[in-house]
Parts: sequence; C-alpha cells; structure tokens
Amino acid sequence: MSTTRPRVRRLPLNIAAVVTVVVCLFPVYWMVATAFTPTRDIQSDNPRIIPGSWTLDHFRTAVGAAGFGLFWRNSLLVTLSAVLLALVIALGAAYAVARMKWKGRRQFMLMVFVAQMAPWESLIIPVYIISRDTDMLDRLPTLTLVYFMMTLPFTIIVLRGFIGTIPPELEEAAQVDGCTRFSAFRRVAFPLLAPGLMATSLFGYITAWNEFAYANFLIIKQQDHRTLPVWLSSFQNVFGTDWGATMAASTLFAAPALVVFLLLQRHVTSGFAAGAVKG
Amino acid sequence: MFAGVSVLVMTAGLSACSSSSDTSDSSSGGSTTIDVWLMRDSVSAQFQNEFVKGFETAHPGIKVKVQIQEWDGIGEKVTAALASNDAPDVIETGNTQVAQFAQSGGLLDLSDKVDDLGGKSWLKGLAEPGAYDGKQYGIPYYAANRVVIYRTDLFKQAGIDASAIKTRDQWVAATKKLNSGGTQGIYLPGQSWYTLAGFVWDEGGDLATQSGGKWKGALDTPEAIRGMQFYEKLQALGKGPKDSDEANPPQADVMAKGKVAQVISTPGGATAVIQDNPALKGKLGFFPIPGKTAATPGAVFTGGSDLVIPTASTKQGAAYTFVKELTGDAWQKKLALAMSYVPNKTTLASAVASDPGAAAMAVGAAEGHATPNTPGWAAVEAKNPIKDYMTAVLTGGDIQKKAATASDAITAAMNSGS
Amino acid sequence: MSAVREQTAPRPPLGTDPPRRSTGPGARRPPKSAGRGIWPYVLIAPAVLGTLYLLVYPLVRAVVISMQDFGLRQLILGHAQFVGFKNYGTLLGDSHFWEVVRRTFLFMAINVVLIMTLSTLVALMVERLGRFGRTTVLSALVLTWAMPVISATTVFQWLFHSEFGIVNAVLTGLGFESFDRYPWFAHGPAAFAIVVVLIVWQSVPFAAITLYSALTTVPTELYESARLDGASGPRIFRSVTFPMVRPIFLLVFSLEVIWTFKAFVQIWVMTNGGPGDATTILPVYAVQTALSSQRYDLGSAASMVTVVLMSGVLVFYFRQMFRQEDELA
Repeated sequence: MSTTRPRVRRLPLNIAAVVTVVVCLFPVYWMVATAFTPTRDIQSDNPRIIPGSWTLDHFRTAVGAAGFGLFWRNSLLVTLSAVLLALVIALGAAYAVARMKWKGRRQFMLMVFVAQMAPWESLIIPVYIISRDTDMLDRLPTLTLVYFMMTLPFTIIVLRGFIGTIPPELEEAAQVDGCTRFSAFRRVAFPLLAPGLMATSLFGYITAWNEFAYANFLIIKQQDHRTLPVWLSSFQNVFGTDWGATMAASTLFAAPALVVFLLLQRHVTSGFAAGAVKG
Repeated sequence: MFAGVSVLVMTAGLSACSSSSDTSDSSSGGSTTIDVWLMRDSVSAQFQNEFVKGFETAHPGIKVKVQIQEWDGIGEKVTAALASNDAPDVIETGNTQVAQFAQSGGLLDLSDKVDDLGGKSWLKGLAEPGAYDGKQYGIPYYAANRVVIYRTDLFKQAGIDASAIKTRDQWVAATKKLNSGGTQGIYLPGQSWYTLAGFVWDEGGDLATQSGGKWKGALDTPEAIRGMQFYEKLQALGKGPKDSDEANPPQADVMAKGKVAQVISTPGGATAVIQDNPALKGKLGFFPIPGKTAATPGAVFTGGSDLVIPTASTKQGAAYTFVKELTGDAWQKKLALAMSYVPNKTTLASAVASDPGAAAMAVGAAEGHATPNTPGWAAVEAKNPIKDYMTAVLTGGDIQKKAATASDAITAAMNSGS
Repeated sequence: MSAVREQTAPRPPLGTDPPRRSTGPGARRPPKSAGRGIWPYVLIAPAVLGTLYLLVYPLVRAVVISMQDFGLRQLILGHAQFVGFKNYGTLLGDSHFWEVVRRTFLFMAINVVLIMTLSTLVALMVERLGRFGRTTVLSALVLTWAMPVISATTVFQWLFHSEFGIVNAVLTGLGFESFDRYPWFAHGPAAFAIVVVLIVWQSVPFAAITLYSALTTVPTELYESARLDGASGPRIFRSVTFPMVRPIFLLVFSLEVIWTFKAFVQIWVMTNGGPGDATTILPVYAVQTALSSQRYDLGSAASMVTVVLMSGVLVFYFRQMFRQEDELA
C-alpha cells in the first residue's frame, strides 16, 4: 500500500470519521435500541438515548411470526438468484462494450441508460398483466426476473465504468504471455474489478431484498411464496403498529447486508494488493 | 404469533375432520377446499379456530383454508386477486374499500341472496358501501365504532361518575377536572379525523355533500366549523400531539403509561392497553361518546368489514355457504362477544349487552355514519386534506380560511379523474 | 507536465508508467481488440433479450395504457377503450401539476447537490483512513444503506415528533425554548427540510461507497508524482483525482437525479405529500391522483411525463456519454 498519500493531519480526519459514523448510525442505533425497549417506553414523554429497561420480547415476537423461516428462505432465494444473474449477464455485456468494437455499441449503451430510468411503479400493472397471461403469477421466478431487470442496467453501467479504468495493456501483456482474451481478462482485470463488483452486488442485493410492491402484487394466493418485506409489515393491526416488533424485525432484516458487505470487502482489499503489484 | 399457532392448530383440525361424504355441494365427489382471506387481527385465533371447526363439522364437504392478510398493501393485494385467474373464494374487505371493488365488476352479485341472509336488518354503514347500482356485492361482516375508554380509578379519585356524562358540556367539565396534576384529561391527537367527523355530524354537517352528481367538500359550512371548534376545545385538555394521528404513537401505548384519563378509541383498544400494562386490568371502563343533548349519543364513524366473493373464484357455491354461516345470527353473536364488535344486524345489538365495551359501542352505533359512499373518497383519503386542516387550526391558523382551503382540496380530489 | 493533466473530455485510461508517457492527445491508442465477429453480440444477447421482454414490452404496454381509459374495471374485465392523449391532457391541464413539477425540480436539485458533496467528502475521507477506521466507516455506511426504508422513515418521524421526539427534547434542553412541542410536520418548510435530510441521509452511503470504490482505482503513483511536482491537496483533487473518477462520478450523479426525482415511499409514509402540498413531488402526486382511485391510465401517463422530464435533465449526461463512446471508438 502506498505510503506517499498526501498527508492529512490525523486528528481532524479521525474526528470527521467519528462524526460521520455517529450521524449515519444514530437512526440505525435508534432502530436497534427500540427493538430492545419495552413497548411502554417507546415514544415516551422523556425520550432517552439509552433505554431504561431492556427486553427480548420484540425479537421473540418477530421471530415467532407466522412463516418466518419461509419468508427468509424465499427472500434469500429470489435475491441471490437475481443478483447472480445480473452480475453474470452484466459482466459479459460490460466487457463487450468496454473492450470490443462493434456496430450498435452506442445504441446498446443508450438502451441501457434509458432502462435505468424505467418507472417501475407504473410498470407493475403491465408486468402483472403479462404474468397473468403467461400463468406466471404466484411464482418466485417471476420475482427473480423482475428484480434482475431492476438491477441490470445499473450493474452494466457501473461495471463498464470500472472496466474502463483498467488499462487494456494489462490484458494485452497477459495475452502476449499466451492467455486467450477471456482468460487474460479473468486473471488480470477481474480481480481489479472487485470494488465495482462489491458496489453492484450490494446494490442489487439491497434493491431486491427490500422490494415490496411487486412482491405484494405478484404473489397472491401462494402464501408460501411471500417474501420478507411482507413479514416486516405484519406487525400492524387495527390499533396501530407493534413498533417494537417491527424494529426488531427490521434489525434482523438489515443484518444480512452487513454480512454480505463484510464478506465482500475482504476481496476488495485483496484487489488492492493486486493493483499495487501491477506495473 | 397467534396466526402461526392458529395455522398449526387448524392443520391439526383439518386432518381431524375426515370428509369423504358426498353431501358436499357443487364439486364433483369428495371435498372442496375454499381459500378465505381474513385481515390480521380481525378475529382472534381462538374464534377463527372455533368457527372453522364448527363450519367444517356442519358442512362435511367443505374444507376451509384461512389466510391472514396484512393491512399494509391490502388494496393492491385484493386488486391483484380480483384480476387474476385464480382468486381466493372469500375476501374480507374494509367497508371503506368495498365500494371501489363493488364497482369493478370483479365481485359476485349476491342480490338474490339478500333475503336468504336476512339483509333487511343489516347495519346501513356496512350494507350501503357493499352495494352498487342497486346490486349487493358485499355482505356485512362486523362493525366497530369509537367510544370513550376511561380510567375508572382516576375518575373515582376526581369524584366523577362516568355514567352521568351524557352531554358534551358535562364531558368537557369532567375532562377539565381530570386534566390536572400530571394527568391528561384526554389524550386526543390532532389528526384523529374520524373523531372530528363524528363531531361534525353531531352539528348536522358533513365532510362532503353531493348535489347534481358532483361532490363538494363541506368543511367550511358553519356546522362543520362548530364541530372543529369543539374538537379544539377538547384537544386542549391534554397533551395530544397536534401534528399526528392516533397511530403515531399508538394511543393505546400512551394510555398504557398510566397518566391518561381518557382516550377515544374502539373498545378493542382497551385490550391493547392492558397488554402493554397489565397493571391496568380492571381499571378501564367505557362510555359512548356524548352527544349535544342527553337524548342522542354522539355520532360516530362506522368502521367494519364486508365479505365478498370474487367472480374469479372457482368455488362460488361453497364460498357462499361460508359467507352465510359467518354472517348468520348464531356466529355473529359469538363473534361480537369474542371480539367486542357490533354485530352486522341491528336486531342482534342486544347480544353484546354483557360486554361493557361493546354495549357502549352499540349505543353509538345507532348514530353511525359512513364516509361518502363513492370511489372518489379514496382519493381524498390518499391525500387527506382533513388532517392538514386540523393541524393547521390547532396550531393557530384561521379556522374559516383553513376550512375553505380544505374543502376545496376535498372537492378537487373527489372530482378528479372519476 | 508529467502526470498532472488538464481537465479535458474523458480520456482513455492513462498508462501506468508515467515516464513512458505513452498516451497524450492524439497519440496512438492501445489497439482495441477488433470485435471478433459474433462475440460482442453473444455477450450482450442475454442483456438485450432480458431487457426486451422484461422492460421494453411492459413499457410499451404502459404507454398503451396511458392512452386508454383504464381503471380497475378494465384490469379485471378487459375491453379498455382507446382515448388518445386525453389522459395527458387531463394531467398537463391541471394547474396543480406544474406547481408539483417545479417543486420536484427544486427538491431534486437540493438533494443532489447535498448528496454529491457529502458523499465525495466522505469517500475522500474513507480513502485516507487506516484499515480499522475504513472498515468501521464503511460498515456504518452499509448499515445505513441496508436499513429498510419504512423503518428509517418511521425512526425519523419519531425523532422529530412534536411531543415525544428527541430532537425537540435536545433543542429545548439546549435552551431553544421555541422548540418545546414544536410540530415539525405542521409547517411546510420544516417538513420539506426533514424529508430532504432523510433522503440525503439514505442516499449518501450508496454514493459514497461507489465513489470510494472508484477512488481505489486511481493509481497511487499519480498522487506521488503530483506531490513531487508540488501540487497542493485541492489541486491534486481537481487535476488528478476528479478526472479519473469522473465517469463514475457523473454516473452516480445521474443516478441520484433519477432516484430523487422518483423518491416516493419516504414522503408517502412521513407526510403524505403534506402539509398541504409542501412535500408533494411528482411520484407522490401520481399516486394520489391516479393510483388511489385506481386510474392506472393517469398513473401511467404521469410516469411517462416524469421519464421525459428526467431525460431532459440528463441530456447533458447523455451527450457526455456519447462523446466518451466516440472517443473510445
């Protein structure tokens, strides 16, 4: 790693870091703290930063909700498939755009970019009609395909951008050494794409994981195919919402993203190391 | 959690009922299974279980599969169901939503069954929204309206007898007395517009009126303004937040903390309070919302649900049998007692006499009103200028001007795109 | 001079050995691998097919719906009548509509400026932190990003609640008595500000993480040379860092434009467009007028209009992108 970074004084930098973390995390902290607060103390006259008493009841309620295990399984299936599908297809497309010269390339990128602006709130009706006519309602693969499409344009654009910052000479050097074009890409450029892959897979994951409108509209009678966001909203009733349970559920709901990130970010730093060796 | 237990128990119940009898109706030999959608917490798990068992025993050819639906996104969910090729067989919809579905062409016309179901005695607030163009699509299921839930111990301490409160003036006087020494006389959030509607109706006004086929917002009429002024007077006798409604925070939670003498809520709210704070068990009482005079209780908004059968259902015969059973007198009485509801027929009101909450509610139900029965009202609720109006007035705005603005907004919303 | 470049149109990537200086304006470019026949088309085929079926086809139907008389009845029974541009007429003729459009642009501008500034600063900061600090801040960003929108919105509502919110409690405690029980959501500008804070807070993590990822691709030798040349911090940023990450920066910028334009859930849950119209932007307006009465035709029309407006804003980015394409061609 470089030691010749423009030197910035340590202290202001660290203070800035701490402030960032606190500001970012305060609402998150509030969510987690509420998850442990007994209902009586949620939204009280004297809001306290640290809860006066703690309880695990809300987590028990959240985990005990009907269909809990099923929702997690469905969400995981749908999200992981959508993200993987998007990554693979986008990588191929991004490579073609960034590294190859062919007719229609410009038009393709235009299409991708316009696709990024798709008004998904309004497309729900046509997608529903199409699914109904092809008998694809109530099925998880339908959701997978929709989420895949939601994340594809962004993934292509970002990966193309990242590939663009990697000098082709690296791959050419590998090709001179005897690799085929694709294996050169795989060995040389791919590791350097790690930050881009991390950003795009996190994005895809969070988009699909959180999506409610389509999951609510396309999965109708097959209760077994419902996904997590439905679980999140299941603590509402006529008298209002069980906020403790909802916050507990939200905490559990948000946790996997952190896990995904921590797993991926190890590879980001190793991509770093590879980069330091280049040239 | 309850739903999970109920599903387990129901599965056990289903397997216990072996049914190869051929007295089932429409289906060809063997039993039919119908899918029923009920809203979360509209019935207790216990009641649901009891009913399903009882129903299946009485109708051996029909098995019932209940699916609990969440309130969030239910409008879209029902839309998706009605428009699909394979819809559930019975759906519970709120009485404020059933009108738009009735007009959609997606519901089975049950006009010829109205007599069979005893429709003459139905509560108007439930039956009217379920009808369209002279045909009946929604069958009244249950109703609930607001009452005053009060702390019997705080009342006793202040020397107030709740049963003597029959008029508004008495109510305000009592609340003033209670609003001292750290206790809130009444916790009334600023945007509880259903409550405001009741006060407006009491004055003879309405939220919107129709003339010549066009709807017009009516908050700026003198009657409606008087209703708002009363709301303002009452709201000041406590620390209800001026810019949120009764769900934010859930007022049951606030009352559970112990320093609130009254809230306006459906009686079921008392159960929520006791759940939060078991120490208050036995310390909660109910009385109907007082009217202007002792002779008439305060007007209330009739909430509740209807049952509908989608045209896309493949088991309409069995579905109707289910609906008839659940809306029939026998089960209605049990339901009302189990859940503190108002039964769907006026003739059954006496059934809940033993339940103080439901009894108080039934008194008010006689003065029950509904929101304007037209799909255009959904557009108003989506934007809800009434809530803004209330907050504006409570934070010092000029009531006449704000009422005019709100009425215009209502008019615009109701007449847009219909 | 050496590795410090002037800001020009996006260039082909710099070679990694500064002394060689193999790239410069008009110099011979590294030969692009000539597209070998069908390979490019094979690679983009899945993307194209997917987009055609999952996006273009529904989009075409959405446009058709916007030109029909299409409500709940038509969804269930079919037989939608064609009415041409009547829905657009209804929409564009509504005086409210243009007010909403103006507000949407204002909302978008404020949000995007704040988001891009803050996320750039955060990304730069993260780059300079040590390993532990970096992981901590990035994890905080990820958690923020991952927090479900509904929960985040609700927490913000609680924080600013007039009676029970901690913001009022803290402000009153600090001596600002006027904030005792201040109803934030009752006043237009205050509600607007809260929504902006929420959107910015939620959007910065994604932008910061992506920008940081882009920053990691800048070869460190460039910084070294720049410093050797005596350049100061801001100058380095302007001349070295920014040009290299510009494509990603513009990308994130355009994405944030799109997303803030379409921000819906937060506003819907928190203020429902209120008080009055203070926080009603296009998507909120579309749902209020169209979807709540199940006028899918009006909703579709509103979305098409939104897309057109968004494209207008992003025309600049399109042109950039095309110029970039041309240079790489």
